[in-house]
Amino acid sequence: MNLSINGRAVAADVAGATTLLELLRDTLALTGTKRACDIGECGACTVLVDGRPIYACLTLAHACEGQAIRTIEGLGAPGAPHALQEAFVAEDAAQCGFCTPGQLMAAAALLAANADPSDAEVIAALSGNLCRCGTYPKIVRAVRRAAATLRSSADV
Amino acid sequence: MSDAPRSGGAKGRFVTTTVEVEGRTEQRVVELPAFEPEPWGVDARLTHVGARATRTDGALKATGHPGYTTDVRRANQAYAAIVRAIVPRGRITALDLSAARAFPGVLDVLVAADVPARTRLFGAEITYTGQPIAAVCATTQEIADAAARLVHAAVESLPFAVTVEQALEGGAVRPKIENNLVGGKPIVLERGDVAAALAAAEVTITREVRTPCVLHSAMEPHCAVAEWDGDRLTVWESTQGIYRVRDNVAKALGIPLTDVRVICEAMGGGFGAKNYAGAHTYIAAIFARRLGRAVACVVDRTGEQIDTGNRPSSWQRITLGATRDGRLTAIDLEARIPIGIGGFEGGPGAIYHELYACPNVRTRETSAFVNTAAMAAFRAPGHAEGSVGLEIAMNALALELGIDPLALRMRNIAMRDQKKDRPYTGNRLAECYEEGARRIGWHGREASKAAAGPRGEHLKRGYGVAAQVWSTGGGPPCYCNIRFNNDGTADVMAGSQDLGTGTRTILAQVAAEALGHRLDGVRAVIGDTASAPFAGNSWGSMTVASLAPAVRMAAEDARRSLLEAAAGLLGVAPTDLETRDGRVTVRDTDRSMTFGEVTAKLGNVMIQGQGSRGPNPQDAGIVTTGAQFAEVEVDTETGVVRVLRVVAVHDAGRIVNPTLAESQLEGGIIQGLGFALFEERRLDARSGLPLNVGLHEYKVPTHADMPVIDGHFLDGADPKANHVGVRGIAEPAIIPTAPAIAGAVADALGVEVNELPMTPWRVLAALRGD
Ligand code: FES
Ligand code: FES
Repeated sequence: MNLSINGRAVAADVAGATTLLELLRDTLALTGTKRACDIGECGACTVLVDGRPIYACLTLAHACEGQAIRTIEGLGAPGAPHALQEAFVAEDAAQCGFCTPGQLMAAAALLAANADPSDAEVIAALSGNLCRCGTYPKIVRAVRRAAATLRSSADV
Repeated sequence: MSDAPRSGGAKGRFVTTTVEVEGRTEQRVVELPAFEPEPWGVDARLTHVGARATRTDGALKATGHPGYTTDVRRANQAYAAIVRAIVPRGRITALDLSAARAFPGVLDVLVAADVPARTRLFGAEITYTGQPIAAVCATTQEIADAAARLVHAAVESLPFAVTVEQALEGGAVRPKIENNLVGGKPIVLERGDVAAALAAAEVTITREVRTPCVLHSAMEPHCAVAEWDGDRLTVWESTQGIYRVRDNVAKALGIPLTDVRVICEAMGGGFGAKNYAGAHTYIAAIFARRLGRAVACVVDRTGEQIDTGNRPSSWQRITLGATRDGRLTAIDLEARIPIGIGGFEGGPGAIYHELYACPNVRTRETSAFVNTAAMAAFRAPGHAEGSVGLEIAMNALALELGIDPLALRMRNIAMRDQKKDRPYTGNRLAECYEEGARRIGWHGREASKAAAGPRGEHLKRGYGVAAQVWSTGGGPPCYCNIRFNNDGTADVMAGSQDLGTGTRTILAQVAAEALGHRLDGVRAVIGDTASAPFAGNSWGSMTVASLAPAVRMAAEDARRSLLEAAAGLLGVAPTDLETRDGRVTVRDTDRSMTFGEVTAKLGNVMIQGQGSRGPNPQDAGIVTTGAQFAEVEVDTETGVVRVLRVVAVHDAGRIVNPTLAESQLEGGIIQGLGFALFEERRLDARSGLPLNVGLHEYKVPTHADMPVIDGHFLDGADPKANHVGVRGIAEPAIIPTAPAIAGAVADALGVEVNELPMTPWRVLAALRGD
């Protein structure tokens, strides 16, 4: 099958039952996307498919034929972080960090659709992403901080 | 002041002393440090310690940190899956492995006969639902999972017990025990004379309270990857204690400690459930040896929820006696705790002896083994449950006496360690109450309720308060080595691990402070038994209080050597030098060298420092105290409780990093909120089966459930506790949250909901009066 991952064309030989999460983590070794439940209950595996946030553990790889996948590795890297990633660090929005990539991808989808979300809109968009360490309040702050940064850089 | 033994005395370097671990007292040998730095007092002017530094591994975590055990990908790695029992008690009469073995891609299968007895894996006796009975290894996780489902066990079911009542009536729930009582009998602890004090009390009240069994539910499941190189084994483990896992593995497999290396680079949460090696660890190691390749064993979410630890449920009956003017004269607790098939007796009783000043206290705890998964320590084990009962009873007493619940608490603050009859090194609980009351508007709360009223008759507002005490002194043994690289950077090496609390960052801050370095010139090297000396488990809120003094001492030691070296290069005496921002300066001059210039001149002569943790003072208790306040809104038509605000004020000594401390405080409060409102492992008493497996049915708090959280620490060093002045934070954070919410709900409704979680169903039942 063919798809694009973080802007790069990928051709892979994938069994019918393979999930997108297995393809990413196990076949392509893109381990930034985390697996916490594997049954669609936590949001840790959230990635973007054509810009929409989905649970990769519930999505068959073949259902993504020809589509553009964006994972945490495509959002930014330690040397070149996305504004959201910088805001998560600045606000201390990651404790153990295991839910963090999923939270970030859900937030990225939100900001692409809504450049200036309210607290309630952030909360609604991220309510499918569990965090057991309790970073929720700081995540909301981080997302709004990133939104402000992105808006002001769009202004210049 | 401390009368703790110090080195140089007649006693020698290794002495026996009393230490307190999670409320239990033990005699242990401790090593006295070669020197102890002067304490950083309340007024010490510090640069890095106390700063809001961002996490040193924050950027990694925000970009999909590759260092979790579940991310380890060794060459040719294979994957294991665990087959579990689906009845609470029985005997396996036959195990059919043929279909699993024949499944394409399956490499190996393990049953009881294949494993060393010391691993305690498998076996014919089933004693709880979820118990591992076999394991399958395959080339991929999917194949291993599919093949595991093909293992067929013929099981003869046996009578079981899942409640304390069933356990007390029936036969032994597992082999090798005579009766099901933990310790053989109820544990009774009494000071004073409770019966006499209750008989004489001017006022008494009694309440019955139930708290649920709750699950740690860390996002990263328990997992291990094992790989052998000849006789030497490397284990990557998601753990709170790399050294303990190393011990467990060496003993279970019967191999020397020097052949085992345990690594935990990053881990996705523990909360008390990841303190030991587990079935998954041994399964990975045994498969890896048999197959000659690396094997990963990741517990799946179902296994995680039914077999990796829990906070056991409790039933508590509390009777308080008091004078009319609100002084406690007697506290009496009767409790029952079904702890599961194993674990320890760490019930709700302990906090009843500590939180309030009271001369007569008795707790009687009946803990029973039952046919459910073993309990494990879960953030403030015992205290989190006990505070619910005690604080609900305190609110009832306040109501009975017509005294404000906060005033009643202020009147009964325990200023001494009543369990050991000694002072505390510090306890500013009264200030915590006052500051919290100010922040939530406690004294204006009736006006706030009235102002909120117009939103609807069915929406009721309420306010609650609860307090906390928890031993947070940390202690030895605990070591740190520091070495300078010849570019002037320094590695801070300790056998600890970072659960998400920020250990790496804290160690770097303390080391940078004591060295006079820049924070980015220092790197914490933790999470690997091969590279760092011993540090204990990250449990009992003891990591910072144990480690920070050892790190500081190692840094002072290294700094001394660095100054000696620099003194020679600069042609002055070491005492003429000071360090700051990674630079050695001749005092009152502009002559200076960077650390990098000094170490470059030294070539490969290495500047090192060694630090160890000295004993705690024996004549004073070390605790973190605090108060939390909750504001809730209850919908009396639907029974839904919404927590609007939580204010938390704690006294935890010096705060090394306020941002990280607040993160932990928020985390504890949010878990406490889950305990209060949503979380409950449900068991069917007739079949003994868990009913809500997984994170859909077992509800942890989400973004949508968040109140406004105002978390605050009374910053102030505790130099009597240790020379960095620090105490612990993690567990204190969860203790008062649920009882503060319970108090607020009762305040809103005018009736108590004395069973957690306070689900809509229970709220409506309480309103109906049933
Ligand atoms: S791992 Fe996909 S939702 Fe949990
Ligand atoms: S940061 Fe640990 S689960 Fe979210």
